[in-house]
Amino acid sequence: MSATIIQTSNLSHIFSKGVKTLDNINLQVPQGSIYGFLGPNGAGKTTTLRLILGLLKVQSGNIQIFGEDFAPNRISILKRIGSLIEQPSLYGHLTAKENLEVYRRLYGASPSRIQEVLQLVDLHNTGSKKAKQFSLGMKQRLSIAVALLHHPPLLILDEPTNGLDPNGIIEMRELVKRLNREAGVTVLVSSHILAEVEKMATHVGIIHKGSLLFQGSLQDLQSAKNKSGGLQIKTANNSAAAQLLQSFKPQQQNGSLILPFQTDEAIAHINKLLVQSGVDVYLLQPQSADLEQSFLQITAQ
Amino acid sequence: MSFSIALQSELLKTRRTASFWLSIAGAALIPLIFSLVYVFNAKEVAPGMEIRAWEQHFLRGWQSLSAFLLPMYIILICALIPQIEFKNNTWKQVFASPQSTAQIYFSKLLTVHLMILLCYLLFTLLMLASGAIADLSSSKFRFFENPIPWKSMLALNLRTYLSVLGIASLQYWLSLRFKNFVAPVGIGLALLIASLIAFGFKWKYIDALPYAHPMLTLESIMKRQTFTLATHEWWAIGFFVLFTLAGFFDLLWRKEKG
Repeated sequence: MSATIIQTSNLSHIFSKGVKTLDNINLQVPQGSIYGFLGPNGAGKTTTLRLILGLLKVQSGNIQIFGEDFAPNRISILKRIGSLIEQPSLYGHLTAKENLEVYRRLYGASPSRIQEVLQLVDLHNTGSKKAKQFSLGMKQRLSIAVALLHHPPLLILDEPTNGLDPNGIIEMRELVKRLNREAGVTVLVSSHILAEVEKMATHVGIIHKGSLLFQGSLQDLQSAKNKSGGLQIKTANNSAAAQLLQSFKPQQQNGSLILPFQTDEAIAHINKLLVQSGVDVYLLQPQSADLEQSFLQITAQ
Repeated sequence: MSFSIALQSELLKTRRTASFWLSIAGAALIPLIFSLVYVFNAKEVAPGMEIRAWEQHFLRGWQSLSAFLLPMYIILICALIPQIEFKNNTWKQVFASPQSTAQIYFSKLLTVHLMILLCYLLFTLLMLASGAIADLSSSKFRFFENPIPWKSMLALNLRTYLSVLGIASLQYWLSLRFKNFVAPVGIGLALLIASLIAFGFKWKYIDALPYAHPMLTLESIMKRQTFTLATHEWWAIGFFVLFTLAGFFDLLWRKEKG
């Protein structure tokens, strides 16, 4: 079991209006993972990330990063984190290089690092162009470059693909995966789009209305979702079929039978049973609700 | 991480910003007008300036500046420097960088004051240039025959700088509080006008009004240009310490940053 890079314990937060924005969040981001922090808008993703970065004062609960308590070690921890919170934060009147220069010294990165990160995000040809003239995708990439200046072992990205075109989304995803694979960077990335997270994350946390509804590896999520799916069967004689399959606890639903989740072997066995008993099978379909559906299911509860 | 690195980072952010150009324009306006008056109106202006030409020149310069332009410049520059972060939505990135709140607060404060000092220095240099231009353009001026009064110039600069410390510290605090640029500038302008009215009525507690301090210093240096501080200048130093600390703790104890 690898070490945990970020661990929050019973993190709760209430904004002044008395609405509980976060309720007992126990986030566990394993080292070397790409942790997709998933939830609809307003679920509490940004609040959680702001708490982790010390932009919000912790009201109750505890945050440990790199195994250290956050508050007393704030500066030494922040030195090892690259972050991008909400929209890009760049100085519009400065060039790409100057924007990086503002932060380079603060993080103690070497001057040559500026060219390196500019190349990495493909912005080395922007010259004297000011950041305010950049497209949103370029701004987002420059923000990533700022976050990468000091070779941080941990990256925290809040909705990094927001507002990007499909091409930009793919580029961002590839960049995150490459950093994770080649430099071993642990990435905590939030998103409200499940398909996005599915394509890049190794671990997933699903937050909804301030509560963490699911947390685990992508495989865990997949099997959880499989278990929530079922087997749909339509036959010429549903009541006869129901009789035959009594041991599987079938349910009648809109002219078809729904059985709980079955393995492939069991499905083959069910089919054989029906055919051999003379029941014509019209449809035999595993309802493997894809992640999108299970996400909707989870968040609809 | 040292304070000087934080300061370098802050200074870099002011590149090409309005705050930088405002400091230059604020310093250049009066010397430019004076030069035009001297060049095109030598006959009327030159008589009476033969003796102590530089002293008269500089006093007139500060007279034009102190009452309104200087406090207005201070109000604007204090608002513009924090506005760089508000406008670009960069506070969060600043607070998520490995710096202490003290470093962030004081490096920005120092940046504001370096801008003010730049403005003062530039004003003095351009006023000297404006005297030289007058002398070169017309033989009626006697600037070159008069020694440049370095000592009283320094006293003038130092005391007018002290006189804006109260305003600068309060405005800096207000400007860190309000995201909207109009709020600190509006409050500052209202306080300035109220203080000028109080000054006009010779209110007995005028020394305690930071926004009247530049006027009071002007009044005082018309009488004597020495380094001895007037009562209100001590008040200004006191206000500076008070408001600077208040602003700092206000930022330090803020629950939500960036």
